[in-house]
Amino acid sequence: MKSHEVLIIGGGLAGLMAALNASGSTDVAVLSKVYPTRSHSGAAQGGFNAVLHEDDSIEAHIFDTVKGSDYLGDQDAIEVLCSDGPQVIFELEKMGVLWTRAPDGAIAQRSLGGAGFPRACFAADFSGHVVLHTLYEQLLKRGVKVYSEWHLLELIVDEGRVSGAVVYDFANARVEIIRTKQVVLATGGYGRAFAKTTNAHANTGDGMAIAYRAGAVLSDMEFVQFHPTTLYGTNILISEAARGEGGYLRNAEGERFMARYAPAKMELAPRDVVARAIFKEIKEGRGLEGHYVHLDLTHLGEALVADRLPQVRDLAIRYAGVDPVTAPMPIEPAQHYSMGGVRTDTSGVTTLPGLLAAGEVANVSVHGANRLGGNSLLETVVFGRRAGRKAAELARETSYRGFSREAAKRVLEPWNALLSASPAENPKGDSTFAVRREMSTLMNNQVGVFRTETELENAVAGIGLLKERYLRLSRPAGAQPFNYALMDFFEVGYLLDLCEIIARGALARTESRGAHFRLDYPERDDLNWLDHTFARRGRAGPEFSRGIVAITSHKPQQRGY
Amino acid sequence: MDVELKICRYDPEKDTSPYFQELAVSIEGNRTVLDALLLAWEQDPTLSFRRSCRSAICGSCAIVINGQPALACQTLIGKAAANGGILTLGPLSHFRQLKDLVVDLEPLFDSLKAAVPWLLLSDQYSGRMDPDAVGKIENPATCILCGICQADLGEAEIKPAGVVKALRFALDPRDTLGAHRLRLLQLPPEVLRLFIKQLPRSCPKGIDIFSAPV
Repeated sequence: MKSHEVLIIGGGLAGLMAALNASGSTDVAVLSKVYPTRSHSGAAQGGFNAVLHEDDSIEAHIFDTVKGSDYLGDQDAIEVLCSDGPQVIFELEKMGVLWTRAPDGAIAQRSLGGAGFPRACFAADFSGHVVLHTLYEQLLKRGVKVYSEWHLLELIVDEGRVSGAVVYDFANARVEIIRTKQVVLATGGYGRAFAKTTNAHANTGDGMAIAYRAGAVLSDMEFVQFHPTTLYGTNILISEAARGEGGYLRNAEGERFMARYAPAKMELAPRDVVARAIFKEIKEGRGLEGHYVHLDLTHLGEALVADRLPQVRDLAIRYAGVDPVTAPMPIEPAQHYSMGGVRTDTSGVTTLPGLLAAGEVANVSVHGANRLGGNSLLETVVFGRRAGRKAAELARETSYRGFSREAAKRVLEPWNALLSASPAENPKGDSTFAVRREMSTLMNNQVGVFRTETELENAVAGIGLLKERYLRLSRPAGAQPFNYALMDFFEVGYLLDLCEIIARGALARTESRGAHFRLDYPERDDLNWLDHTFARRGRAGPEFSRGIVAITSHKPQQRGY
Repeated sequence: MDVELKICRYDPEKDTSPYFQELAVSIEGNRTVLDALLLAWEQDPTLSFRRSCRSAICGSCAIVINGQPALACQTLIGKAAANGGILTLGPLSHFRQLKDLVVDLEPLFDSLKAAVPWLLLSDQYSGRMDPDAVGKIENPATCILCGICQADLGEAEIKPAGVVKALRFALDPRDTLGAHRLRLLQLPPEVLRLFIKQLPRSCPKGIDIFSAPV
């Protein structure tokens, strides 16, 4: 049986940062469903917020983040995020990250939404890619063991503590157990729960769902971020940096409509505000062809676009047939990020002993009800680093749990049965593809930017029916290598669990806060709802409770931009 | 438009050799070959192909499309199927086929290691960098390790993933070794120059290292 003292699940920014910080003193391995450099962190474009300039301040970054979170973020965690930021940026620089530079050679910074100062460090519009590859280089330098294209299937909990993981070697179609002292989840989000998403095919919420099934608490799952600017039709991300560098949003009349919704911040209001504004314009008949609005960079000039936004330009030309230097881009909002996740403290420790989490999979909570652009990349490296260090520390204090041959066999039996069974027919007319399509359409239409009680009730009922259908589907069995159908089947199961929690959380929260907007309860309600939503697996589905929001120095105020 | 996909299938557990399967899909010309593959997969769920970001940044979906190595997500149907609506899709050439369009990437990732693929920070580094120097490295730093240039090169002894990485660090003023890295590659300069010259032809990210100190 394989053993690793610390097992990191996920090879994106948070996972690699955790691996680097746990390695050295402990035996660490990274297990990832894709090669680490293929992780979706690499698609992040805009930048990493951190206070580097003398005219900026940590206090200002904290306040912007608290306000952006619509006061649901935990202020003690936000203080950690903002205070650790500058040091981590310099650490990354020394590892080889190619930050774009100001004329004097210092690290350049740009404006992103909801920030009172240009504080996002960036590498053109390849910020995530450049940092991901740098961390991968460091991983090679340290010789950390990587299991690429291996999937986590189950966390083994023995007497209340995670003692190992059931993992699936995709290339060899085998399942086995990896014994471990501490697991760090860094598996990202669940964007594929929504039909319109910027997320990669791999972003199916595996870690969140597996942690939930193992008994960990999920928090604030009803808060789903919709990115305002994705290419109309394909929903490929067009970075907020496009507006940070001066881009305008225009409706069919050519008007910069953000003046009506956020007169002070305009296009650089937080994402929840901008996404709602775009949908409102479209709904009121001021969209183009009734479906989208324009993101206009034509006044910026070719030199700036080529220098600062080369990827944006490339994506728009290729996927929308539009060169943003000469014509505006057609854009619509789409699901982008999960504010909610596995509840952790500021060291990444979850409610389940032996399990830590960092990055998008986690809810620490620094984003509260709405995340600011540039804060998620920062979160991955700040909390990945902290979780890695904490996991190593905890691993030193823990010993491996024994696994008898019989216990191991018992755990593996159902998985092996699945792999060796012969393929069966699906119920007539049904398939994993159909369930997935209906699920993601339902989430998009009924658990989207604007929510109502009726639609959410329909959504909860609809997800219930889809779960029943899912249970009747035939398992795409077979021990062939690279069995994507089987992976897809697992992934749809994870997504359905999470959809249920998201929709039920959204139905229960009878207020509007950040990205959660209820047309029937359009105001924020601090008296009744200044609380985290906790979800824990119960006998008949998720059981919900509330958690206290940590408020240290900023009392809730009205949030205007 | 209606597109006929001819997909190279191979399951080492069942097949003695690869064969082509024909699947017809209906798809708009402004969609991608990856979108077509996803439709084909619904017809035959046993089909295996890698994919993730679908926006040409993760490097997963490198395959051979009508004889040319390319990213499936970056190749538009309208262009690729312009000649008679037939798309021939195969695994990346000069890589070992593991199943259908999935190839063994271990040699590609292993080849990085020989290049000492990490920054060796110079103690001269002041914390400031010339913006123009950064601008020159940005281009090779966009390498997504997709393997397309290696497939295009064929059996050459050159290991391009490591070479691009070495060139990227050779240009980095923070690096202790700098241009000495090119000697560590132990490649004849003419081979290296030819590689640099030919790279932009195949690279899906348009990497063009004209400024390399070769």
